[in-house]
Amino acid sequence: MAREFQRGHKARISDLTLGTDLYVGVQISAPGLTFDISCFGLDADERLSDDRYFVFFNQPKSPEESIQLLGAQAGDTESFRVTLDRIPSQIRKLSFTATIDGAGQMSQIAPGYLRIVAGGEEVARYSFDGSEFSTERAVMLGDFYFKDGWRFAAVGQGFDGGLEALLKNFGGEVAEEEAPAAPQQPQQPQPGAVPGFAPPAQATPPAFAAPPAQATPQPAPAPQPAPAPAPQPAPQGFAPPPGHTPPPAPAPAPNVHVAPTVVAPLTPPGGTVPPPAAPVTPAPTAPAPYGQPPQQPSYGGRPSAPMPPGYGQQPAPYGAGQPAPPMPPGYAQAPGRPAAYEVPQGAPQGGAGVTAALQAFKETPTGQRWTQQNKTLVRVDLGIGGQPVLARQGSMVLYQGKVDFGYKGAGFMGRVVGNATGQEMQLMRCSGQGQVFLAENSAHLHPVELQGDAICVSAENVLAFDESLSYEVRRVEGHGIPGGALFTMQFQGTGTIVVKTHGTPVVLPVTPTTFADCNAVVAWSAGSQVIVSSQVRMRRNAYPGDTGESVNLQFRGAPGNFIVVQPYEV
Amino acid sequence: MNQPLAGFAPAPVTARMENHGNHMLKVALQTGNDLLARVGSMVAYEGFIQYEPNPPAVRQIARDWATGEGAPLMKCSGDGLLYLADYGADVVVINLNGDGISVNATNLLAFDAHLSWGVERVKGLAKFAGQGLWNTRISGQGWVALTSRGTPIVVDCGGGEDETYVDPDALVAWSPNLKVKGKRSFKAQSLIGRGSGEAYQMAFSGQGIVVVQPSEDSTDRLRVRG
Repeated sequence: MAREFQRGHKARISDLTLGTDLYVGVQISAPGLTFDISCFGLDADERLSDDRYFVFFNQPKSPEESIQLLGAQAGDTESFRVTLDRIPSQIRKLSFTATIDGAGQMSQIAPGYLRIVAGGEEVARYSFDGSEFSTERAVMLGDFYFKDGWRFAAVGQGFDGGLEALLKNFGGEVAEEEAPAAPQQPQQPQPGAVPGFAPPAQATPPAFAAPPAQATPQPAPAPQPAPAPAPQPAPQGFAPPPGHTPPPAPAPAPNVHVAPTVVAPLTPPGGTVPPPAAPVTPAPTAPAPYGQPPQQPSYGGRPSAPMPPGYGQQPAPYGAGQPAPPMPPGYAQAPGRPAAYEVPQGAPQGGAGVTAALQAFKETPTGQRWTQQNKTLVRVDLGIGGQPVLARQGSMVLYQGKVDFGYKGAGFMGRVVGNATGQEMQLMRCSGQGQVFLAENSAHLHPVELQGDAICVSAENVLAFDESLSYEVRRVEGHGIPGGALFTMQFQGTGTIVVKTHGTPVVLPVTPTTFADCNAVVAWSAGSQVIVSSQVRMRRNAYPGDTGESVNLQFRGAPGNFIVVQPYEV
Repeated sequence: MNQPLAGFAPAPVTARMENHGNHMLKVALQTGNDLLARVGSMVAYEGFIQYEPNPPAVRQIARDWATGEGAPLMKCSGDGLLYLADYGADVVVINLNGDGISVNATNLLAFDAHLSWGVERVKGLAKFAGQGLWNTRISGQGWVALTSRGTPIVVDCGGGEDETYVDPDALVAWSPNLKVKGKRSFKAQSLIGRGSGEAYQMAFSGQGIVVVQPSEDSTDRLRVRG
């Protein structure tokens, strides 16, 4: 998952991702304000010596297109595509900045972030919010800088003067504008609290803007008994009956601690009785039933000494200082486990609401044609590259834009060959403008980019490919294969093919001794030569029974070739 | 003997609904705070929990459920920990904070009984898609759990002019304020067996999100088993 950065953190980009084609998304918003987000390409002296490398709304890309402005997408207010290996050598630093357009100040901003996405996966995120700033009107959010390779730094430095001050800072005369007006005490950017995606202004519930007490169970220093859920129950509507009240709001925690009747795992306020299996522990010592039938064991109340580890920052368990009563053996091995069923009512990590709950599954953005959204979904942007995509029929799960789905016939010969070899694909042609999401049966998907080379894939493992690729049926001959021969599709050309596998595949380099089961092998680079190897051993015939693994494919080829095998034998 | 399995012991409860792994839901039940869950989704429980299939309140709301055979929901009440699963589907837990969500029938696993909910039929589509597309609109303050075959994806409709089209078999949930309509994209040729395989879609427009699963497997396994 994404690595969380805080102000001042730095990291090598090669430690974050091996890719050099990065997507940088910035989310920043404030009620009633608009922001200009721009990227300054600076030279070794941190000057904007070439203003063609000031990428902003009026100049959406640098001359060689190594830095491109992509616009708002996937929840980001602004996004960039940065191709590090195409950045010319005089540009040594890229500074991503946000400035307020018009009146306003940075302290008003809602939680936002700068994130780096590579290969469809978010690799770094620097979250910030208005509490880190005061009257600034511009802020440098993060830098890519070159020092033995490209690195990323989360900056978060504000400028009172807005865009002019920034330009001046990069322009020349005043290099000493470093003195940041921003408060220097490192206020944590609250990693979890940031709702991140989705326009917080309208869609997200106000809870996000609320102090952390409600929005997130922040590991707050104060000894609060729970993720501050206590104030929640009433408005949440499922407050437990008044009888067994959960612990009071954070502040009054002490009264729990001083309660004289505490016997270790049981706190008086509610948890009267131990779990069913716990025969011993003393219900009697607990204060008389809080408005509930005494004989009924209640799980509703708050537990009890072994607090969940998540709340470990609490100063001491309620029963501190007292000898813990003998735990029933059944529970002894799970020290961190609550002995009773507790129901904290607070909002979960990351905040409440639909958008917060679904944040993990949000669409990942890029400016590329093929993007892997998660293990089992790819998105193809038909607008980029402009050529149609051929996909397996029925594999579209969602599309946006004007996309036309047409039947793609194999032609007469294609069908004859397809029927004879089993290498037949039911395809549809997706053309037009828009984004199509492809998936099938939650199989794992792997976009493979071909640049003039070729790959052999079994037809049933092809999900989609660019129409620019040419394909033909190839035959692998050998004795012992059911049906007499093995057929695969060979794809060649320039473009991307999406291969699907059941489960996580293994990609093996081709060595002199690489073998694979012909039922499990999914694909191999066309440069490798395939030989059917039958294991002929005298001893096999000496025993009844067969290992079932007698016919294998052996691959031979120059180093650099590979085969893909799935953990599923068709 | 237990050591290798110890890692799968339940984590301490920190919220009413939680994931246990990707595929199992853990609900902390309390008296007076009931839960409605899909019939047959219970895999384990701990404590004192009672189940009432097709309770009167549900019958009232869901009397025009498309199948006509009663609501496939049960009311779970009592105190304890309840574990729910749907044949290995991914479980997504949502804490509704006054907002709402529309969930496809087969993808609903459980929700708090005090939430306001209603059943509605997706207009224009029910007669095409074999499974009878009714959906449940849920709103209020509380918890909802959805299932998805494979890791789902959440797409912003964006509010642009272009609509977002979804394969109804892959649809999981959407924001209730979106406008929904059915779309038939077939041409004459798809009627004679040469379709693209994508004949019907649902079109969403407006501001909101759509949740989609990476699989067109929309069979209701809980119902199939009976």
